[in-house]
Amino acid sequence: MSNTIAVALAVARKDLRAEWRTRELVPALAQFVVLALVIANFGFQIDSRNAPMIAPGVLWMALVFAGLVAFGRTFAAEREQASLEAMLMTPASPVAIFAGKALAATLLLVGCEAVLLPALTLFFGTPLSVPIIAAVLLATIGMAALGCLFAAMVARVRARELLLPLLTLPLWIPFIVAGGQAVQVAMGASGTYDQALALLIDFDILFVVLTSLAARFVLDE
Amino acid sequence: MSILVANGLTHWFGSDVAIESIDLTIDTGEHMAVLGENGAGKTTLLRILATAARPTSGRLEIMGLDALRERRRLRRRIGFVAHAPGLYPALSAVENLDFFCTLHGVSRARVAEVLSVVGLSEVARRPAGQLSRGMQQRLAIARAILHEPKLLVLDEPDASLGSDGADLLTTVMRDRTVVLATHDHALANRLCQRTLVLRHGRSVGTATRLHIVQ
Repeated sequence: MSNTIAVALAVARKDLRAEWRTRELVPALAQFVVLALVIANFGFQIDSRNAPMIAPGVLWMALVFAGLVAFGRTFAAEREQASLEAMLMTPASPVAIFAGKALAATLLLVGCEAVLLPALTLFFGTPLSVPIIAAVLLATIGMAALGCLFAAMVARVRARELLLPLLTLPLWIPFIVAGGQAVQVAMGASGTYDQALALLIDFDILFVVLTSLAARFVLDE
Repeated sequence: MSILVANGLTHWFGSDVAIESIDLTIDTGEHMAVLGENGAGKTTLLRILATAARPTSGRLEIMGLDALRERRRLRRRIGFVAHAPGLYPALSAVENLDFFCTLHGVSRARVAEVLSVVGLSEVARRPAGQLSRGMQQRLAIARAILHEPKLLVLDEPDASLGSDGADLLTTVMRDRTVVLATHDHALANRLCQRTLVLRHGRSVGTATRLHIVQ
């Protein structure tokens, strides 16, 4: 078990270090989410009355597309460098390797969210509170697990940019629905926040377990 | 004593056969070269022998273990240098090897040792992406011997090694069983006791060093 954690942490550290040095992904994602907010700001007639209804939709749209890019890169880069095979030729557990990649992708997306959430407050005038951050972070965990699994599956396929959204988006819908509801309530709309948050936790547990079980077959076969 | 026994190894890519009915036995400590034209099936065979790929059919036993079922256990004892170096260009040579030490569960003290063996100690802190192709190949060889494997599978390791490449290979192959694919007959003859020749995915036969010379 300790070896699995050590491998997962080493893989995550390696990915984050490579990203820190190349700065390929996070600046591009941050630019993308800010641009998405700017466009939404001009596209919708936003006032204090409708902001809590519109802002969550814009938030999840930006997050979903940023996530597709972030998770798509996790395994595509390994395939391009032919380094995934080198990793799999070690006795390290494919599940640990997958967990490390998913952890790094999650942290990169969290970095992107650190730009997105304050920018949302700036453009839409919506509050930035702990319940909103908690809902977004919880959704990110499950979305990262699913996104990385499908990214690993399609990495060796030529049309991976097309296939990844086709496979991933339908399974992200529960996170978008529950996360959207939680954020809407946290921004002042009516509804039950706790129920949405409990759903997010349930989905996280379900998909983290399922993707961990599937990762062995996807990576090693 | 045989370290590797293969029976009827066959691999198909769609409707194309890459290797067909390869039978092979390699003794402990033996160095075997695999020769053949481009597309003869050398890389496919080596990837199967290194447990990086599964054959479509056939049996493979390595060190007494079923190589199709016990792949993770065998990977502790197999070192593989693939066609592409498969390094992380943003990480230094040391960081690349440190990372693989964790994955293999070996001490990081091995990093300095293997860098010295492949002659990369002086560029150890340089990003792998800034190393020459030959240096990257040396780094890939260093990674393959990091965990002191008993069986070393080398896919054209001489491709960009330079003039002292054969000496380096002699050093890393010492006291190990080796399967080496190459286009260089002279190198095969110098480093290996036996040669397997592939043509269109089939074994044309094996020959000892003496036969090759003749």
